[in-house]
Amino acid sequence: MKIVNTYKKIAVFVGVLTLASCAHEDQPTESQLDFNQPLRTELDKWIDTNYLVPYNINAQYKWNQNTVDNTRFLFPPTLDKVQPALEIVKQIWLASYATVGGADFVKKIAPREIVLVGGVNSNSNGTRTLGIAEGGQRITLFEVDNINKKNRAIVAEFIHTIQHEYVHILNQNKPFDEQAWGKITPSGYTATWHLETTAASRELGFITNYARANAVEDFAETASIILISTKAEYAAILASITSAKGRADIQRKEAIVVQYFKDAFNMDFYALRDEAEKNTTYVINN
Amino acid sequence: MKIKNILKYLVVASLAIQLTACTETEVEQKFDATPTERLNARKTELQQVLPTSEFGWKAVYFTDNKQLGGFTHLFKFTPDGKVDMASDFNTDTKIYTSDYGIQLGSTVSLVFTTKNRIHLLSDSNPAAAPTAALVGKGYLGDFQFLYYGQENGELIFKTNRNGQEVRFAKATAQDWTDLPKNFLMIPNVIGRNVYGANRGLEIIDGTTKKTYDFNPFTTITRFTNYTNATEVNGLGIGYSPTGIVVSPAITVGEQKLSNFVYNSTNGSFTATGTNGVSASIKYSDTPFVISDDYKNFAPGQPQKVVGYIAPNLTAAQSNSVLCRTLLDKINAGLPATQSIARVQVIFNNAVNGTYIQYLFNGGKATITHFVTTKVNDTNKTIVLTDAGWTHNAATIAILKDIDAQLTNPDGLYIKKEAFTIVASNKIYTLANASNNGFRITAYQL
Repeated sequence: MKIVNTYKKIAVFVGVLTLASCAHEDQPTESQLDFNQPLRTELDKWIDTNYLVPYNINAQYKWNQNTVDNTRFLFPPTLDKVQPALEIVKQIWLASYATVGGADFVKKIAPREIVLVGGVNSNSNGTRTLGIAEGGQRITLFEVDNINKKNRAIVAEFIHTIQHEYVHILNQNKPFDEQAWGKITPSGYTATWHLETTAASRELGFITNYARANAVEDFAETASIILISTKAEYAAILASITSAKGRADIQRKEAIVVQYFKDAFNMDFYALRDEAEKNTTYVINN
Repeated sequence: MKIKNILKYLVVASLAIQLTACTETEVEQKFDATPTERLNARKTELQQVLPTSEFGWKAVYFTDNKQLGGFTHLFKFTPDGKVDMASDFNTDTKIYTSDYGIQLGSTVSLVFTTKNRIHLLSDSNPAAAPTAALVGKGYLGDFQFLYYGQENGELIFKTNRNGQEVRFAKATAQDWTDLPKNFLMIPNVIGRNVYGANRGLEIIDGTTKKTYDFNPFTTITRFTNYTNATEVNGLGIGYSPTGIVVSPAITVGEQKLSNFVYNSTNGSFTATGTNGVSASIKYSDTPFVISDDYKNFAPGQPQKVVGYIAPNLTAAQSNSVLCRTLLDKINAGLPATQSIARVQVIFNNAVNGTYIQYLFNGGKATITHFVTTKVNDTNKTIVLTDAGWTHNAATIAILKDIDAQLTNPDGLYIKKEAFTIVASNKIYTLANASNNGFRITAYQL
């Protein structure tokens, strides 16, 4: 037992040493982080009131290299263009969905961030990217500096971008039946869609030439073109197609879109279109 | 003994812990402060220094001095995140206000966060591209500048995109008022050959002198190059009210020359260093670079044709004043419906040897002057000597003066130039080797 006692003593000694040896520790000092709130301009406050508080959406207009593609030559928007652009987005997109889908619809399924870019986003094939939807979380809108609320064509193109990208966000939340969609016009998809005209594409059953990029873009284009057109304008588009099959194919796609909105979100797609049209007219006249 | 073994192991384990537990974890500090403290200090430093300059800052921003020139920007920062800015990107030199921020990326950076003049350099709109190669890239500009400290009162930045150094120097009130004057310098940079038939860059290092051709300047890119027989050196140019700023700087020994002052009496731009070092863009009737290209035109070589063609080459800077006067004189002597179309020299034709041809617009018949050729390897010239005309003396009288230049007894310098005009054909110039100021521009045909 003697040896055990010796070990016991050593163990106690070692234990004391262990507890005492590292007693000296630097106490944490004050944080190095800068907690100063950046100055908030009137525009920032407007964004808070109209986007952040009601919809929990951050509208970012100041340049942040982490939210843009730094291999592209892009630049932030001119200050004067930010609020008009966001007013258009709010009135035509957010308000329309809120009216038809319920006040909480866009609060639940919306990009958490809208990034505004002033300049053109040019692609190497000569096309321009007007908008990007990423991961169901962020929509980037380009060419904000070109916004002119009094010009219906410009407003329509801008809104087309938002509607198109938002359909992507919806798809990223609840997928549509890509296989069924792909069977309607399986042979018309092409990587060189930009070399095709919209008129010729419609004869083949695509609403625009960009719709021919792939089924996902086709869905977003079909939905967004219907949303930015009045009932009469859309009827005129269909009437302009000479190929009966082309027209029927677009209408089959339209039916899938309508069904998707009904099944996935319990929303009347045509009511949404009418609301968007009403709000577009409001924006242009005010 | 089992318990004894357990205790033994415990003791060994405890001792092992003792030996390692209090290992010094403090990393030796190479700096006085932690990285966070240093970054914060940098941030504070930049935040504080930007608004301090009474009239703001001036930067001549060369986005890529391998293909583009410099754009002068003036900035006046306020502590509340606003910046007043003016630039000489185009003639709209008014002051505009936008936002800026100090952001932490790979290091502390100054970012122009909403659009202002500097963003014009980053416009990917194809219509804004300065050259076909830059479609979709604009002027390769950046507006996020990484802060690298201060030197002689200047703020040193590097662009986030491609690491180009940009220096902010303290601006003066005059910089703001004089900014539009930068555009008055453009015609001087383009140049006027009333001062001499050749334009060159002369670099003097005390007693030794190096000379280059200074080639025609393109305003859309603000870029040119200077060349000799073996070197092609690109040169980006920025305008100032008194001259130009160039990048890359002309290096002479240890000295770097980049600020050139314009002299309106002789059309030259000169940058002066110390100890007799200088660089000068100037005119002279004597060529700055004499090439060996004449050898390709010597007797026995394959046929080669070079020709002045109107109107493509009519306005070429490399046509000297004397050349233009003589061409104008030919036209003045012709009926209104006729004009000189070509002056071309056919060297070493298998049938007719070498001859000068004068072609006309308006139905006038071509006139040919046969010559013999002889090279002078010492002077690097080729001498054309009269061997008869296709027309009589009265008919050729109108061409006598210009022909006398081409067939002068001192011969011609023939040089392949480093630039092209309108077409992709190579450009040659033929100059009177007596250095009397005659130089004509020709395509290789």
